[in-house]
Amino acid sequence: MTTAVTPIAHQVATRAFGWLLAHRDHGALPEGTTADLGDPNSVYKPLGEAALAGSLVLRESAAGSESMRAARELLDFGWRQLREGDLLYERQLRHSLLTDPLEMYAHFVRAGYRHPGMDALLRHNAALRSVRAAEVVPNRRLAIANAARLAGLDYGFDWAALTRATWLGATPEPWAIDWMTAYSMTHTVFHLTDWGARPEGLPAEIASYLTTWLPVWTDIWREVAQWDLVAELMIVGSCLPDPVCDPADWAALAAVQHPDGLMPRDGEPVSEDPARRFADHQHTAVVAAVAGSIAVSRTLT
Amino acid sequence: MTTGSAERAARAVYTEATAELARCVLDALRGAGDTAPLARFTEAATDPKAALAAVRVLGADVLAPYALTGGTPHPRDLTVIAQATAVFPAPVLTAPPPEGPLENWAIAWRDWATGRLIAGLGDGAADDTPQPPAAPVLTDTADWPRWSAVCARLATLALPGVTGPVPAVVRRHPVPLARGTTRALLRRDYPTAARLARWLAAAHRDGVPLPLDPAALTEHIALHAAGEPRLALDLAVARLLLGRTA
Repeated sequence: MTTAVTPIAHQVATRAFGWLLAHRDHGALPEGTTADLGDPNSVYKPLGEAALAGSLVLRESAAGSESMRAARELLDFGWRQLREGDLLYERQLRHSLLTDPLEMYAHFVRAGYRHPGMDALLRHNAALRSVRAAEVVPNRRLAIANAARLAGLDYGFDWAALTRATWLGATPEPWAIDWMTAYSMTHTVFHLTDWGARPEGLPAEIASYLTTWLPVWTDIWREVAQWDLVAELMIVGSCLPDPVCDPADWAALAAVQHPDGLMPRDGEPVSEDPARRFADHQHTAVVAAVAGSIAVSRTLT
Repeated sequence: MTTGSAERAARAVYTEATAELARCVLDALRGAGDTAPLARFTEAATDPKAALAAVRVLGADVLAPYALTGGTPHPRDLTVIAQATAVFPAPVLTAPPPEGPLENWAIAWRDWATGRLIAGLGDGAADDTPQPPAAPVLTDTADWPRWSAVCARLATLALPGVTGPVPAVVRRHPVPLARGTTRALLRRDYPTAARLARWLAAAHRDGVPLPLDPAALTEHIALHAAGEPRLALDLAVARLLLGRTA
């Protein structure tokens, strides 16, 4: 880990946040949205991702006052969009086995927002065998476990067993990875460490495995300009007990960021249409903001 | 025929000669073929100069069957190696990289390995090939993609009987080596992956703990790309180093 990364990570995060905040209205839920959400991935999921980024900036409080203010504004905006949590409550009440209301709520809980009805409902659900046994892939179960932990729920999870069940838990052949699995791997790390808050949540064997192979994966996906995945891999590096943070990766990320803060998801041309730009690159802005915030925090400590 | 197409045609002849010789060496590694395969190969060649060029290109690998499975090279084969070196002498090594060209330095090391193997395999003649100088590209492993690319160029030195600073350095750095191999495989650069797999296999043979399983890796490369003779030769060497069948 080198402190040379700190200023450049700070710059990337601040610009990404500025862009998210400036264009947040593209991420507003349509008028009359109900808890059933015809297309949860269009606006609802991005709202949760922005809330995640905001909650991490506030948690790390190392990002500088400008980002802190932007983060709070973004969270307030998202919370209002969700009708101060009512929408999450209604969705969770109607669909006991869906996990996204809990997961999204956890990001707001991290930043100090609470909805008493949601808390009571989640406690009730956590006691149901049906809810606990809902079938999801292993890295997604870790997402539920981490959200439950943040929300103060007792699901009785065996974290070691959950970890072993993931792709990463197998410490697999590093050359037998693909794009989608790389994303899954990053999320295993995010949930085990709560996005860098608890690096000790990574078993030592996995931390060592990642220290060895993360530079290779970052290198090959950087070469093909998969910036969204590269930034996710860089978050993984910052989540390690002994962080892996390559100044060359940060320089590359900073070099592709647009002057207005847009972070392109890949090497394809970026649309001129504002709504399209937001839809295509909102996720990468969130990832860049998170990557920068955590890297700043971990290079300073 | 234009100059360009004449050059392309000549290059194709040399490439085919190299592939043909790689097949001969592969046969020898598998226990088939002539007692003096190099002499037979050059005598049977329609283009003797291309055949000698192929001997130069494969370098120490023409001795891989003896280095790996025992026996001594036939004197006629040693004559062929000497002829090839006389017809295609190594470029003068003015300075190691980065001052001098990397390829000239790599050729000097490959020739040195050939000399060591000939001396070690019971030729009786003293080895007068000078040991090339060390270079930062060999010792600076922090830039592991560049370092492993250098190792790939020196993969013919991954043979039993070749000692010296190159295998010693590679053996000391299993993580950059494994990273470079993994990178090559993920980039579908199978020739580089196969050359680096040889080094992994050599390190494994020497008892160096590796962060990945070299046997599974070698077989994976083989499933993708074993049709190319030089690549197949690298994989056969790796398999023998791992104690498996070529």
